[in-house]
Amino acid sequence: MVEGKNSPDIRLVGDVASIAAVRYGSKTAYSVVMPNGMYGKLSFEAIDALSDDFAVYLREELGLKAGDRVGLQVPNSLTFPIAAFGVAKAGLVLVNTNPLYTGTEMGRQFADAGIRALIIVDMFADKLDEAFAIHPIEHVIVAAVSEKMPRLVSGVIRLVQRYWDQSLPKISRPHHLFADALARGAAMRASRGIQVRDYTAGTSPDDLALLQYTGGTTGIAKGAMLSHANLVTNVAQAESCFGGEMRPGEEVVLTALPLYHIFAFTANMLLFHKWGAQNILIPNPRPISNLKRAFENHAITWMTGVNTLFNALNNEFWFTEDPPRSLRGAVAGGMALQAPVAERFKAVTGIDVLEGYGLTETSPIVTFNSRLKFRLGTIGQPMPQTDIRLLDAEGREVPPGQPGELAVRGPQVMSGYWNKPEETAATLRNGWLMTGDIATVDPEGFYRIVDRKKDMILVSGFNVYPNDVEDVLVGHPGVLEAAVIGVPDGAAGEAVCAFVVGRDKHAPTAEQLREHCKAHLAAYKVPKRIEFREQLPKSNVGKILRRDLRAELNKAGG
Amino acid sequence: MVGAFEQAVLAAMIFVIMLGMGASLTPRDFVLALKRPYGMLIGLVSQYGFMPLVGLVLALTLPVPDPIKIGFLIMGCMPGGTTSNIFTYFSRGNLALSVLMTVNSTIVGIVAIPLLIVTYVAILTATGSISLVVPAQNIIITLILLLVPVAIGMAIRRWNANVGALVELFGSALGLVFIILLLVTWVPRNWQFLLNTQGWVFFGAIGLGVFGFVFGYLFSTLLKLHPRNARTIALETGIQNGPLAIAIVAFTFTGPLQGIQQSVMAVPALYSLFIVITSAMLTIWFRRANAAAEQKIPDALL
Repeated sequence: MVEGKNSPDIRLVGDVASIAAVRYGSKTAYSVVMPNGMYGKLSFEAIDALSDDFAVYLREELGLKAGDRVGLQVPNSLTFPIAAFGVAKAGLVLVNTNPLYTGTEMGRQFADAGIRALIIVDMFADKLDEAFAIHPIEHVIVAAVSEKMPRLVSGVIRLVQRYWDQSLPKISRPHHLFADALARGAAMRASRGIQVRDYTAGTSPDDLALLQYTGGTTGIAKGAMLSHANLVTNVAQAESCFGGEMRPGEEVVLTALPLYHIFAFTANMLLFHKWGAQNILIPNPRPISNLKRAFENHAITWMTGVNTLFNALNNEFWFTEDPPRSLRGAVAGGMALQAPVAERFKAVTGIDVLEGYGLTETSPIVTFNSRLKFRLGTIGQPMPQTDIRLLDAEGREVPPGQPGELAVRGPQVMSGYWNKPEETAATLRNGWLMTGDIATVDPEGFYRIVDRKKDMILVSGFNVYPNDVEDVLVGHPGVLEAAVIGVPDGAAGEAVCAFVVGRDKHAPTAEQLREHCKAHLAAYKVPKRIEFREQLPKSNVGKILRRDLRAELNKAGG
Repeated sequence: MVGAFEQAVLAAMIFVIMLGMGASLTPRDFVLALKRPYGMLIGLVSQYGFMPLVGLVLALTLPVPDPIKIGFLIMGCMPGGTTSNIFTYFSRGNLALSVLMTVNSTIVGIVAIPLLIVTYVAILTATGSISLVVPAQNIIITLILLLVPVAIGMAIRRWNANVGALVELFGSALGLVFIILLLVTWVPRNWQFLLNTQGWVFFGAIGLGVFGFVFGYLFSTLLKLHPRNARTIALETGIQNGPLAIAIVAFTFTGPLQGIQQSVMAVPALYSLFIVITSAMLTIWFRRANAAAEQKIPDALL
């Protein structure tokens, strides 16, 4: 296990909160910022104490036992870190759940994970009926977005939610309120003199900490089993890669990505928190103008994001007109960062976007492109103690420079999928995780993701990687977004098909786009078919879903 | 037509509304607007080039009595009104630019308004027999009324963003109340007056604002300003300072001119009434355009 120089004591996920509280005390750890600038904040000490309270509540009041699963289904808000650290400190297993799931999706995930308790945001608690039909939950705890905000402010927010947005449904299931849970936990902890540390005295770092659900390659949701060691080690690995750039206790990081996603969970909630950074939590970054007040009112120094977020900011008038002067760094992950997007972001803010590569199954970071060892357009080099091999279809290593499927071995790799031995066997082979991503490596050891294995297009025997074509398409000034898939094509086997979202009035014609592609791509890579769309299907972190486009075409009969 | 008490209430309300507006701004917004004076120059051309000219043309061409003609002229020469800030705020325009344009036109107005009115009245009557004294005092009061609360609002937000957001919310709610109040109280009391006024007067009083919107928008779009700024300039050009016009008429047309005061007053009064309605319609349209232009971010990115 890698232990960074500054982290001798962090063994379990909960230790991140305890140790940060000792180091950074009353400094602000988390601020939740609403679109109109209203905010609430908690210090490192408060996060530590409140998560202790919550741990006591879960263990004593609800009677949960070590290893029990607890669902957390809230948007970015002060509830998230309190609940997530609380679950970890109680020796329980966290199950991150997307708040926008339908009742059925919730029920299936809860049943698969076998959760006993759920913390859910009030706005979506009406979906509990549907979820209960599949998997009844013993304990439901309801939290508000405005949890722990100043009383007057949270009162106004709730008035607006109730009467203006009408976004607070009636909750038909018996439940407890998060605020009450914290109060009860605090009272019990004080009166009985409970030491929260005792809950995890018997917990090994290799014990399960998080079930993080992912569609993976097959599209069937399955829970990646991530241990305390997986997560904590990944934090230490990341620290050794770009920790040198951090000013402990000084940074302010924009957390616009949802914390229930593994990228923000590890990078923002664990890594930046450990560094004593202030997390600026954005409950809803949609529309993107919701970020304006956060940038105006807080001197944001770092941000994490996915390609979609950087692209959206690049296209926001207020952002380009007055880019945040305090910004020192930006980290991209979750999906391939397109070169034109990174270049434009650099032109606007002067910041190189540092790109990492990872998967849910690897807690998530595998490689990182740090400023010290930076190469544009690559995903950088493997993290310490991380081995990578590029394999061909038969599982042999490919010759240098050739593309092959990326396989990872390292302390951050999951132990398997929860209750899915076959899926696990298909993905984990002799300790190597098959990522399904095709990559190449240059002589200096910089990796470049070419594409997803299953997204590769075979045109007359030539491999076409959609990412290459998409990069060229979005490089056209009139193109906002693009997605490329392969479609069956008699003679050539497959043909390149592009879906394009044009930029308002400047959208080019299909013919102009083809000319543009011809200037930058080999002839066989130029899209044969170009379709214009208003928008493209995307995942919960804004990843463009090529499989949805394929399904759409299949349905339409090609 | 507009009593002293009403003016006091009006002033108090505008103060609170502007406090809220200030809370939505940062000093940075003003620096940015000053860094790009292009928008403000365009605004000045619209406000003191185009609008007085519209007033003059209306006065020259419409078959209305002389006092009404003078009313058109005065109305056309007014600086931007504070209500333009309210509508810009609601239409999600560039509020800093709007406030700066209002302030700017008010300052420039101290010299420009008397000059324009005297010149145009001279053209209109060819003799210059009607003398108008523009009360600089009122213009300065307007300026203070506008700037002091904006500065206080900005300071509040800087001190505590939560209080700032609350003040802003309250101010904008009051802004809506203010507009509705204006409509509900003024119309019934002046019903008879509305019935007795001839059609051309309505045409001029409504048209002045509408021409301003159209010109401001086309002009700034032609000069390739960002749509957000074009919308702001459209509102800023069309919306004149009605209360200032009423005050000017009330203080200027006294003594021997007392007889025509009420007739002249008809134009700013009607203008103030209808500009609220036309601006509200335009604001709704701008808001829709703004929402449509908002980037589409996937639903699931909560």
